[in-house]
Amino acid sequence: MLSNLDLKLIRDLGRMKGQAVAVSLVMACGLAMLVMSRSLIRSFEETRSEYYESHRFAHLFAHLKRAPAAIAAQVAAIPGVSTVQPGISVQVTLDIPGLDEPASGLVRSLPEFAPPELNRLFLRAGDWLTPGGRGEVLVGEAFAEANQLRPGDSVTMLLNGRLQGFKIKGIVLSPEFIFESRPGAALPDNRTYGIFWMNYEPLARAFDLYGAFNHLALRLDAGAEEQGVIAAIDRLLIPYGGQGAYGRADHPSHIRLSDEIRVLATLSIGFPTVFLSVAAFMTNAMISRLLSLQREQIAILKAFGFRNGQIIAHYLKFALLLVGTAVCVGTLGGIGLGHRLVVMYRIFFRFPSLEFQLDRSTLWIALAVGTGAALVGVLGAVRRAARIPPAEAMRPEPPSSYRPSVVERTGVGNLLPNTFRISIRNLERKPMQALFTVAGLALSTGILIIPNALRDSVAEVLEFEWDVVQREDINVGLLEPWDETVIHTLRQLPGVVSIEPFRGTAVRILHGHHRRQLSLRGMASGGIHDRVVDARNREIPLPEDGLVVSSKLAEILEARPGDLLRVEVLEGRRRTFDVRLTGLSEDMAGMSARMERRALNRLLGEGDMVNGASFTVDHALWVPFLHALKRVPRVSWVAVKESLRENFRKTTAASINLIQSIYMVFAIVVAFGVVYNKARISLAERGRELATLRVIGFSEREVATVLILELVMLSAMAVPAGLLLGTGFATGIIHSVNTETVRLPLMLTAGNYTFAVLVVTVASGLSMMVVVRALRQLDLVGALKAPE
Amino acid sequence: MTNAPTQPAAVDVARQVFQARGLTKVYGTGTAEVRALDGVNLDLPEGELVVLLGPSGSGKTTLLNMLGGLDIPTDGTLLYRDFNLAEAGEEERTLYRREHVGFVFQFYNLIPSLTARENVALITEIAPDPMSPEEALGLVQLKGRLDHFPAQLSGGEQQRVAIARAIAKRPAVLLCDEPTGALDVRTGIAVLEAIEQVNRQLGTLTVIITHNAVMADMADRVIHFSDGRVHDTQRNHRRAPVSTLRW
Ligand SMILES: Nc1ncnc2c1ncn2[C@@H]1O[C@H](COP(=O)(O)OP(=O)(O)OP(=O)(O)O)[C@@H](O)[C@H]1O
Ligand SMILES: [Mg+2]
Repeated sequence: MLSNLDLKLIRDLGRMKGQAVAVSLVMACGLAMLVMSRSLIRSFEETRSEYYESHRFAHLFAHLKRAPAAIAAQVAAIPGVSTVQPGISVQVTLDIPGLDEPASGLVRSLPEFAPPELNRLFLRAGDWLTPGGRGEVLVGEAFAEANQLRPGDSVTMLLNGRLQGFKIKGIVLSPEFIFESRPGAALPDNRTYGIFWMNYEPLARAFDLYGAFNHLALRLDAGAEEQGVIAAIDRLLIPYGGQGAYGRADHPSHIRLSDEIRVLATLSIGFPTVFLSVAAFMTNAMISRLLSLQREQIAILKAFGFRNGQIIAHYLKFALLLVGTAVCVGTLGGIGLGHRLVVMYRIFFRFPSLEFQLDRSTLWIALAVGTGAALVGVLGAVRRAARIPPAEAMRPEPPSSYRPSVVERTGVGNLLPNTFRISIRNLERKPMQALFTVAGLALSTGILIIPNALRDSVAEVLEFEWDVVQREDINVGLLEPWDETVIHTLRQLPGVVSIEPFRGTAVRILHGHHRRQLSLRGMASGGIHDRVVDARNREIPLPEDGLVVSSKLAEILEARPGDLLRVEVLEGRRRTFDVRLTGLSEDMAGMSARMERRALNRLLGEGDMVNGASFTVDHALWVPFLHALKRVPRVSWVAVKESLRENFRKTTAASINLIQSIYMVFAIVVAFGVVYNKARISLAERGRELATLRVIGFSEREVATVLILELVMLSAMAVPAGLLLGTGFATGIIHSVNTETVRLPLMLTAGNYTFAVLVVTVASGLSMMVVVRALRQLDLVGALKAPE
Repeated sequence: MTNAPTQPAAVDVARQVFQARGLTKVYGTGTAEVRALDGVNLDLPEGELVVLLGPSGSGKTTLLNMLGGLDIPTDGTLLYRDFNLAEAGEEERTLYRREHVGFVFQFYNLIPSLTARENVALITEIAPDPMSPEEALGLVQLKGRLDHFPAQLSGGEQQRVAIARAIAKRPAVLLCDEPTGALDVRTGIAVLEAIEQVNRQLGTLTVIITHNAVMADMADRVIHFSDGRVHDTQRNHRRAPVSTLRW
């Protein structure tokens, strides 16, 4: 049974349904994002840690040239190490029928008669390898999908210079390759790079590694000190060509997923905060307005003996109904969006199964945050009303005091029509309310800047970075460093327009207590292919003896130009040298460190060697070029720029664009909600005054002008502030989605600003139309009766 | 506007300003039906001061709203001179109110953000042949309060500003719905004096609704209303000066 007070509540809500819907929707948008991003984080974290545990993902990894099996036992004896899994890991080139470009891949060995101790595989389709079987491989799912490979199909691999055909037994997933990409390449190209597993013996025999290993994975005891173990392993493996052990923090697939989670975490805090504060503003405005209209009602309730608490509870219920609606709509929306995003993430991240898992605790957070926002709104307004003694409140609210506005005191006043005076004096009389509206409008303008800034950044990356900064068509890596004569051979390939050789080597760069493992590339200074540019897109010269690194890497190492960096080479003669950081380059993916090639070769002490080259190719001869390249035996891998761009477009860009379109919808909802709410409130607060104007002979249009003028003046203040605010938001968001894997340039275009202004203008226009319609239905006769 | 009201001809003193025939207003339908006006016949001539008396709910305000062009009847005819108010559209009625009618309400209905002078100027800006705001406020003895905001004025003063606002356009009719309803006796008298003076000096047909039978003495014509009908009309041959009224 509803009490009569509840009945009043329902009728009040009915009368304010437009505003109630607007407030709830804005709140729902914030909550939807909160639910979506927190649940995705949970989905990722739970799925990942379950996967890591059930499939025994290693803690440390190490590559080396070759070590006898007995060494593995020595590694296992290092304190803190619990399990060691030695194996073979080699780069191969592939010949995939129907694929023009040479593909390459990584082949890992599997113990033949028992499942691996670490990094166990998950069989998606087909069968496991036959124990002792030859000529069989398992393929990673991403590559298999990209090339439409199925169990039973065959692939041809160039193993240590010998072409061999293999039958695909099964399609698998590995916790090591949740994100499949070539080591050192931040962006994936699943068509030209794949992961394979073979039985140990055939692989070892093909590479003369039988009875030995060149790759180690190991797990640590709980509480083991990772850096100490790494140092011990490195000492042990140096004689065997150890390339430096590294932990999960340097593991490419692990980093990529962690980066994604980090981005989601930023979004799960930033956006909802903005949206929910707008919602709190709106609730406050709406409730204060309701209370001032219901002054007498409150007084009467108090005169009848209702306690303040009961009255506060009454209005809180009103607010809580809004919050309840918002939580329901927001949660459902968040779940829907979450499912949509999970489908997209499955293309990026290969888990046995990635399901959307609703983070139930978020519902409580959502409820608490929503209620908090509403509470802030209600309490202030209700406290003010509850303080009035009943007798005083029974009298109609005295006319509020006004004074000539500042604008008028400048003397312009005499020129203004009286209707205009009404507008500006109203704004000046309630500066806090005007400020709130301006803040709300500015926030909604600001929010509109973010999605388009993301979109423009992605477009910039796709066009500018790939066409202007990276001008080569293809990068080719060689199996081994070679002297410069190899360049002459490569130059003879059909269609080659220009070729720029490089020398890449695995290094560990240290500065202070920070360290990162990556590939250091030596290249000719002033090359036109892979250009080294700074934040202003100016070419950075590679000096004779200096190092230029990605600014992201410098940030991680906490190094500044002029600092000395220690470089430990992890291959060949394993030299260590100090080199000065001379410049910071802006690049959008991965992290790079670059030097002048001859300078690098001098430091490596191996003569003038190259192990790869970039090409520009005559497009008419593109296919013949690729076919010829396939027949060059020394080629280890290729990276075709167009494929990478296409991949980026389909994955990273697609995900950012999906997120941006969600935010766009939300931002538009907020813009409309705020403007509409403001217009309704003015209409309701001033209904009597406006009706009086109509009664004494003003036309609808003239009366509407009073309200429109107010809104226009508020917008004129809010929009510039909003554009500024939006610039700040966009800068913050772009910086926070900048990770080691992918970075976006901050792009703020005139088009973006124009769009934001346009949306706010259209929102204002439409809201005004609604209000003008309501003005037509204004109760002229009612306004002449006693004030409500 | 085919049906536009015209200014009165100065010679035709006895011409009727309003003529109502069978004027009916029904609110609601079925069992909720209320006949607020139930066939009112009425003639109101130029220049008179008319007092409308009647029990609560008898339809006085409804009639006044019809006369003022705020509402349209369900049935019957209502002529303002030769302008048919019963059939006028929203736009025409707005113009009618703007040019011909002055309203005074029980709760003043001033615009709180405008000063006394500006509240009056609001109207003089849009009326065709207004007096100056100062002159209008002078008529109601408020010359000294020109730049006060409503919040700085007493109830009686606010009501007199409302009267100045109503008459500044030199309206043909002044409609007052319980103008003294919220005021004490002394202030009420001052307000009535202002209304009476305007009626006398400008020759404005003035209709005052009141519950106060004493005020009948100041009128040329007293109309008794009950159950939505004119029950009785009475003519005073001499209007009593407002200052002699007591209640
Ligand atoms: N908007 C409306 N809807 C329904 N009924 C209405 C409406 N306005 C007035 N009425 C009814 O019409 C009748 C006449 O109302 P009106 O306001 O004209 O009375 P009144 O004579 O002015 O009374 P009072 O002296 O109390 O002001 C009343 O019974 C009232 O309930
Ligand atoms: Mg009445």
